Amino acid sequence: MWLKFLLAAGFALSLVVALVLKPGEPRADTGNRRDLAGKIDRGQNGRRLRLMTWNIGNGELESETRAHATDLPAVAQVIMDNDADAVALQELTGEDQLQLLLTHLKNQYRGYACSRGGGDRVDAVLVKGRSGSLLKPDREEGLRMGALAEARASAMSDRSARFNDVPAGDHFAAAATFRLQKYRPEIVFVSAHADAFSAARRRNFTADVVDWARSQTKGELAFVAGDFNFEVSTRNKNNLFTDDGKHDSESYAYLLKYFRDLGRDAGETSINDRRIDYIFGPSETISLSRAEVLRGAAVGRMDHWPLLVEVAF
Amino acid sequence: MITQLRLELLKLVRSKGFYLSFAALSAFVLLMLWGFYSYAQQKTGGLANEQFKYTYESGSYFNGLTFTLYSLMFAFSLVIPIFVAMSAGGQIAGERRAGTLRMICVRPVARVSVVLSKFLVVAIHTYLLLAFFIGLNLLVGLLFVGWGNLELYPGPLNLVDTPGRILRDDALWRFFYASFSGAWALLVVAAIAMLLSVLCDNPVTAVAATLAVYLTLYIVGRIEFFVVLRPYFFTTVMDFWRVVLKPEVPWPDVYHYAATCGAYIFGLLLLSVLIFERKDITS
Repeated sequence: MWLKFLLAAGFALSLVVALVLKPGEPRADTGNRRDLAGKIDRGQNGRRLRLMTWNIGNGELESETRAHATDLPAVAQVIMDNDADAVALQELTGEDQLQLLLTHLKNQYRGYACSRGGGDRVDAVLVKGRSGSLLKPDREEGLRMGALAEARASAMSDRSARFNDVPAGDHFAAAATFRLQKYRPEIVFVSAHADAFSAARRRNFTADVVDWARSQTKGELAFVAGDFNFEVSTRNKNNLFTDDGKHDSESYAYLLKYFRDLGRDAGETSINDRRIDYIFGPSETISLSRAEVLRGAAVGRMDHWPLLVEVAF
Repeated sequence: MITQLRLELLKLVRSKGFYLSFAALSAFVLLMLWGFYSYAQQKTGGLANEQFKYTYESGSYFNGLTFTLYSLMFAFSLVIPIFVAMSAGGQIAGERRAGTLRMICVRPVARVSVVLSKFLVVAIHTYLLLAFFIGLNLLVGLLFVGWGNLELYPGPLNLVDTPGRILRDDALWRFFYASFSGAWALLVVAAIAMLLSVLCDNPVTAVAATLAVYLTLYIVGRIEFFVVLRPYFFTTVMDFWRVVLKPEVPWPDVYHYAATCGAYIFGLLLLSVLIFERKDITS
């Protein structure tokens, strides 16, 4: 009898322990926003940089999968509402569409679309470059400085931005080099879009983008953003979206060898619960204050949401 | 109970199946060694670098600890459960098939003692299998592949989300922990097999049914369509054993899933005992 009682007690005790000790939530399942402002240490007195990446193409397979011109006003509104300092965009049809977007952005941004290469779509990079908000002091600092001082500081900001094609794999990525403020380090920001169908091509493309970004960073801050089309999360027991998980593992590992995955805790960025859009930044010199996937931002038949990160340095 | 346990242990060590399970696992280790060795040679032989600039599969990556990890991951999911199911599924149904169950039950021994002593023997067998397998892999890895740190990357084995490293000595401890967490997880399969062994007259039916349930849930749990159902499968819970091999062990997860496994084990055993006590044994 006592053995049966022992079994019943073991069963009840196990149930209680299982219910009381909840497992830690998997990172990628924990919602779409991570506001880490409370954890900032170094960045409190530094500058903040807000970056966004967004594949504005469409998931409608039977018609145009590139960005739709009709979606651009909404895209521009999301960018302006979130006051992004630099934006990486993917799947634009070309230069014409970029110019249309810049118009919708009321010319507050300057942009560059990379060379087309062999494909039918291009990546673009936007840098905020007109108003004084190029320089974005911390709230406390802004209050201390006052409006006059802020305007003077704005005038000091170096608004020039250089744009480049980044030859990577068999096509190109787009890059911008700019400063938030004079005497601040240059920021290199790459907008990339890796192959959706071949993990081997993704791997070569990623290696080239990483090598290019590293070659540009002599004291500058390098950020690589875009749709890399790979997902190596432990959530995915069986990833049906890749032809070779090993290549994707190599691609991600190479990026993490030199960069930090800033949107890691922000959740999925694309339909089918996939986190394939990334913003990678320096491992040491910045602190992450916010990483958020803007879930309500997609319009029409877009299959990606924008990823927004804010860092202090 | 102690006498019963001693008798069951004696039966275990005299059975051919006991030695067959160790022999089969040894053969699996040799197969893995051949595969791992040839793969490592191919990847470090310069062929990989012709197509790609970078790979983490360097000479330091391929070492005895990585070999043990790969071998253990694959064997745990698909090989060792077969032997555990065979061992547990044959306990009651095997006695019934051999005509010895009636004789055991007419003795002045509580039926709960019979079931529990048989399950304890299965538990010992399970632990020995896993400990032997890990030990053999480490030994073979040391002798034929060499030592180093355990380097982990996201993607393969689905173990980590970011690249990580476990130093050699720490990694050895982790494998020691894995022998316990793995054995505990496998006891869920053993408990299911024990229940089916009580229910079925034929040990082959009990073992086949156990493996069918295990493999069905294991495969279904890996199909994206059933992602909502996945947390409710015991095969998902069993997967907790490997988190002790992460660079930072999430202990709350370990305790939670180990307790959930415990609920399965004790619950199924209790059910087995209750059914066995009420069963009319006519053969």
